[in-house]
This record gives sequence, C-alpha cells and structure tokens, in this order.
Amino acid sequence: MSFRSAQVVVIGGGVIGTAVTYYLAKQGLDVALVERGDIDSGTSSACSGSVMMQTKGTGVKLKLALESREIYQNLNEELGEDLEYQQEGGMIIAETEEEIEYISSLAKKQRESGLSIELLDKKQIKERQPALSDCVLASTFCPMDGKVNPMKVAFSFAESAKRRGARIYTFTQVKDIEVSKGRVSAIIVDHGKIRTNIVVNAGGIWAPEIGKMVGLKIPIRPRRGILIVTEVIPFIVNGSILSAKYLMSKYATECKDKIKGGITEFTGGLALRHAKSGNLIFGSSREFVGYNKRTTYEGISFIVREALRVLPILRNVSIIRAFAGLRPATPDGLPILGEALGLKGFIIAAGHEGDGIALAPITGKLVTDLIMKEEPAAQFDHLNLERLVRR
Amino acid sequence: MTDNTNKDLVICRCEEVTEGEINQAIKSGARTITGIKRRTRAGMGLCQGRTCQILVRRLLAKETKQKEGDLRPPTIRPPVRPTKLGIFGKNKE
Repeated sequence: MSFRSAQVVVIGGGVIGTAVTYYLAKQGLDVALVERGDIDSGTSSACSGSVMMQTKGTGVKLKLALESREIYQNLNEELGEDLEYQQEGGMIIAETEEEIEYISSLAKKQRESGLSIELLDKKQIKERQPALSDCVLASTFCPMDGKVNPMKVAFSFAESAKRRGARIYTFTQVKDIEVSKGRVSAIIVDHGKIRTNIVVNAGGIWAPEIGKMVGLKIPIRPRRGILIVTEVIPFIVNGSILSAKYLMSKYATECKDKIKGGITEFTGGLALRHAKSGNLIFGSSREFVGYNKRTTYEGISFIVREALRVLPILRNVSIIRAFAGLRPATPDGLPILGEALGLKGFIIAAGHEGDGIALAPITGKLVTDLIMKEEPAAQFDHLNLERLVRR
Repeated sequence: MTDNTNKDLVICRCEEVTEGEINQAIKSGARTITGIKRRTRAGMGLCQGRTCQILVRRLLAKETKQKEGDLRPPTIRPPVRPTKLGIFGKNKE
C-alpha cells in the first residue's frame, strides 16, 4: 500500500460512508475510504430506495429527512449523474379503525412539525390509486415523499469523491485502530497502516465490530428486511404505498424489546413502489435473525399476501427476484452520529436502519461540518452514542 | 467472440447493457459479477442473468486477469423462474 497517512479515514463503503467521503473531499480534506468488500455491496444495495418523509416520525429524524430532501433536489447536477430521484408522493394506507386512528394522529403531529401531509377519503384514494382495493378505508398523502436509485447514490458519491481527490480502497479490511493519549492515531488494514487523527465509523451493521477495536460498545443490530422485485409492468401505482401496519412494525422495536429481550417473531407490512425502470419493488419484513441474509418462503409469502390484499390486480404479475437486506437498527430507531465521548477523533455515523438512503446526504454534510468546525451542531445532542449508553 | 472489443455489443439483452458499459464498470472498481450488476443492471432483468452471466464472467476474467473459474457466481435468489404473485399468495400461513 503506497499511502501512509490521511486527514480522515472513513470506514465503510455504503451510502453513508461514500456520502461522508464525498462531502469531506468537497471541502478539500485529504480523505481515504476503506471498505472490506466492494462499494455498495451490503445494506445500501439491498433496499428499495425510499426517500420518504412520512416514515420519519416527528422529531429530529423528520427534521434531518427534510434537510436531506432539499439536498436531493439538486444532487443530480452536483454529482453529474442521474440518481433517478423522483418526488412523486406517498401514502400510508389504513385498513382498520385502529390504523386510521394511528395514521391520523401521526399525520397531525407531522403537520405541526412542518410536513406537508393530508388525509384522503375513499373517493380521493380511488382517484389517486385506482388499483387499490376497497379494503383500504383511509390514507395519508404526502407530496414530499420520494424515491431514488440507491445503487446510483452510493456509486455516484464514491466516483465524485474520487474526482475530488479522495482515495478509495475497496477489498481492504480494517484490522485494528490505534489510539494514543485519548485520540485516534492510526488504523491498521490488512496490508498496511494509515496514520490519521480522525476515523469515521460508517460500518452500518458492522459498526459494532469497528467499535470493539477501540473498546466501545455500539448497540446496533442487524434487522432483516425481505424485498420482492417484479417484472417490468406499466405504471399502475402512483408514488409509494405503505401500509399502516408496516409503519407500526417499524416503530415497534422498543416496547417489544423490553418484553421479550429481542424481537424474534415476524413483523412487517407493505411498502411498495415502482422503480424508474417500471419494476415494482416491495417489502418488507422486519426481523432480528442475526447476520442471516437469506430470504424465506414464509417471508416472501407474507409480503405477497400483504400486497395482494390491497392490490389484487397484481395477481398475474410475475416476481423475478426476492432478496434480503440487513438494516442497522438501534434501540430507539435513531441513527448514531457524533464523536465518541472520551475518544477524540472517533466519529460514529451508523445505525440508520431503513432510513439510510433518505438520510445519507444530510449525514455526510453533518459529519463534515463536525470535522471542519470541531464543534457539533445542535442535532448531535439527540444522536450521540451516549444517549443509548445512559439507559 | 468478445476478443474483438466492440463497445456497442449488447451483453445483457434484458437490460440492454453493452460491453463498453461493462468494461467501464470494471474500470470504476467492479471485481465481481455482482459488482458489475449493481453498476450496470446487467443480470437484473427478466432472465436474472441466465443469458449474460457467462459473457459477463468472461469479460471480467479477461479485464482483471483472473481465471473464470475463480470468479464467484452471483447470489442465487428465489424464485428460480418468474412466478406469478397469485401462486405465492394462495398459501396460508
């Protein structure tokens, strides 16, 4: 390995690591990215590319998502690549009284947080989504919801970072991190050593492994989501459709964790949209099954049933592929961002669960600001690692 | 067949990916068949790489000076052939 030092070393070549690398390089920093496999070879390429606002709750995550959305508006020009970002609106559909209550109360709170969101009645639903079955009783609609091609995002961030002088080392594994006087001093990779005072741990589901090297416990667990891709069909769905059940399962982590000491039972619901290519991509399950990335027949059948109940028109559409991704889940559903307490120069940017694609641009910017200014923005108070350790 | 470099030659028929695009993906860092797929969509179409995988493998081996046999196949995922949703949906838990 020819290089021996860098101002910043980013660990992880997913959508978060490449975004951080890009924004650092854009500021003129000497940055190296180290990735064990290929760019975009894990979680970031095993997802649906959602850039939704409605799924981000009401607090700091929604605020970050709205800022990220602003960045996505001009990201094509900035990166010189068509990322297939489209803001075509999204709906959360309700099939029971309980679900109507859930989506109405969430929408009300989100509206107060500045999100443009409305409730649709049956007639309005039919107008927007003629294919939806009558079992859908009510729905939200948020015109700010969008989608992107997740693979193009990570690859374009990486390519643009390279053009701005970042060094990208794929198929290079981090073996250890050296600390000297309470500050990061170097990382050891499988064929050499890189001296650096700042390391960004963007390892996603592997972030805990990197944390261990410096004696930090990072509470991120892989949460499996199975997704299905259909053949290319005419556009029969407008924007994104999510079931209330899906959103409820997304936010169910905490209470179930407390009861059972870890969710093992199957949860999930419907999250469906067309990719720009015309294929439908939909999921998803949310399961804690360790690092197991296999799809299951039960999982696929569950998702198909969820889809057919609300979109019976899909009966004769063919599935061409099912796959699974492992989302980096934290105990409270918020990412971990910021410098670790008592360890100068060790910055964590991981744990975005299913929100990584939506939050990647703002994460890259915030981490870059943190490194440039050496003082954290207000958001970091809610997102640092300490919030989870204190519990 | 692929010895005479023809950048406009279509390698993946389903997604209409050319030899030039595949070589560009290798230049940008792809070292696996899956890496090429993620960068170009080759193998993402209706046949899921049944037709183009051999050609992609050959190009990758040639460009990166590896043996074809050493290149790992892409992850095999269900279904084995396009299957209608209605068939999966019939089965109850």
